[in-house]
Amino acid sequence: MAILEGRNLRKTYRLSKKNTVEALKGVEISIDAGEMVAIMGPSGSGKSTLMHLLGLLHTPDPNHGPAPELYLAGQNVASLSDNDRTKIRARRMGFVFQDFNLVPTLTALENVLLACDYAGVKGKAARDSALEALGLVGLADRAGHKPSELSGGEQQRVAIARALVNKPEIILADEPTGNLDSDRSAEVLALLRQFNREHGQTIVLVTHDSEVGDACDRVIKMRDGRIRDNGLRAATPVMATEPVAVPA
Amino acid sequence: MRLLRDLGRRKLRSTLTISGIAIGIMALVVFGSMANKVNALIGGGSKYYADKDVVSVGSMYSGNIQPLSLADVDKVAHVDGVAAATPSVEMILDDTSATTMGTPEMISGYVPGGDKGLESFKMDIAQGRKLAPGDKGHITVLGSTLARKLSAEVGGTVTLRKVDFKVIGILAPTLTAPDQEAMVPLDAAQELFVASLPPLIQSKIDATDIATSITVYPAKGVSPETIKTRLEAMLGSSYTVMDGKDFDEMLGSISVIFSLVLTGVAGLSLLVGGLSTINTMAMAVAERTREIGIKRAIGASRWRIRREVVIESAAIGLIAGLIGLAIGAVMTTMFNDLGRASGNVLFDLTLGTAITALAFATGLGAIAGFVPAWGASRLDPVTALRYE
Repeated sequence: MAILEGRNLRKTYRLSKKNTVEALKGVEISIDAGEMVAIMGPSGSGKSTLMHLLGLLHTPDPNHGPAPELYLAGQNVASLSDNDRTKIRARRMGFVFQDFNLVPTLTALENVLLACDYAGVKGKAARDSALEALGLVGLADRAGHKPSELSGGEQQRVAIARALVNKPEIILADEPTGNLDSDRSAEVLALLRQFNREHGQTIVLVTHDSEVGDACDRVIKMRDGRIRDNGLRAATPVMATEPVAVPA
Repeated sequence: MRLLRDLGRRKLRSTLTISGIAIGIMALVVFGSMANKVNALIGGGSKYYADKDVVSVGSMYSGNIQPLSLADVDKVAHVDGVAAATPSVEMILDDTSATTMGTPEMISGYVPGGDKGLESFKMDIAQGRKLAPGDKGHITVLGSTLARKLSAEVGGTVTLRKVDFKVIGILAPTLTAPDQEAMVPLDAAQELFVASLPPLIQSKIDATDIATSITVYPAKGVSPETIKTRLEAMLGSSYTVMDGKDFDEMLGSISVIFSLVLTGVAGLSLLVGGLSTINTMAMAVAERTREIGIKRAIGASRWRIRREVVIESAAIGLIAGLIGLAIGAVMTTMFNDLGRASGNVLFDLTLGTAITALAFATGLGAIAGFVPAWGASRLDPVTALRYE
């Protein structure tokens, strides 16, 4: 069953009065629940824009032609208000970014708690799930550290804990390994794969790295604002035969 | 405290902004305390004069006092509607220190019981006793401020205009004129008054027949205004008859001026502090654009972002308010201690003034925060995330 389904998705950015960029020129996409999908393509191909639409950070353009459609688990979310989109982001989605994007003044635990807070989880329940999420990414003992006291790999694992803490249906990751060396990249990928396998979370990640693409169930290839290749979809997501090691 | 950590991210800027507001609040506290004092003083007088008329010739504050005769008192007492008329002799305690702010120190001589129980302005006695009907001679009841200045004690002696008086009582603070008064029996005041006149005049005056003013108590149901009209008709234009309304007209303008100064100070600190806070918070928001982008992306509503900025801005105001209040409190206490020796206690920092100052500072911060908060909440999360 498709958890994310989009049709006629267009996005034009206006850089100045005369200069506009057609980032997406009409995209049709379908992502199944429990899939781990990579979106790949050269710079400017529209992959980040597509992810921003799927993550409800932006809304698709109201086209002159056929109206855009975007369904999240069957609900049309193409023209929701900012407030409603924010609520969905807080409760049903998790985000991981290339630059880790932790709040620098907050400790690892507080960064994770922020996501609980926005999802409406407070107090001890929030603390417990935040500590659990940090435990899952192997950083229980670093909970009190500020981002500046953590390595890049550790920061990205805190960001993953933050994305996971509310057990969202979908995790969207924009170049999650872009700033990491290959060992740390492998760790992060393994973690994402683990949550995908164990909790059935749908993972959509944007990447340049074909190794990352290879590790996913499916690779969607983009070029010039369109999808060139929807990739081979596995009938059912492949289940791991061996448990994936969690980096300590 | 995440909030303090955020403020601590830009120590210099936060400190400067806080100092700016703190100075405004300090001025507000100091002027407010002064206004309290003046308003209490005027309010007390207003209450005292509300239900009576005071007859005099000339004005005692201009120093141009012409004594009345006790015969005038009898004439006044027989006017229709007058329940009681009692003479008093009032003079400045020390001619050389007459230039004080607030009320001058006075000697007030009156006939104990002369009001026939009609005086509604009650003064409580702190130590000793009040003057009682029949009291005569060199005894005095001192107002609280004057007693402190003279280091007087009940049973001790004070020198008033070179004459020794036995202190029989000390009043509780009234926050108005009597705090600065020495109350003595009429005969003693008459004696001091005559002694203060030039020798040539002294010989022509019968000390036992003089008064500087007559306090007139209207009968029940008769208004002081009615009595005033009747007295003026009888006494002629060389006499001054003052009722509560006249007092309010005379001194009410002082209250107005103080209120204006206070409003001016408040307005200035509002402007300077407010603009400075807007600037600080706008910079803080600009620096944290990326952070706001992260928060919006992971699910912070616009309202949450606005609230965060406004609370931080209000905290700047509150901290500044606390500092300003503390400095203001130290200053007013210090000035009062310095002024006490000369009887110039000019400030009264009340709880109300303190709370108003704090609320004002916090409100100012919060309101100033709205502008940058609004900008922060309108940031596009994706653009904000890419912001370097």
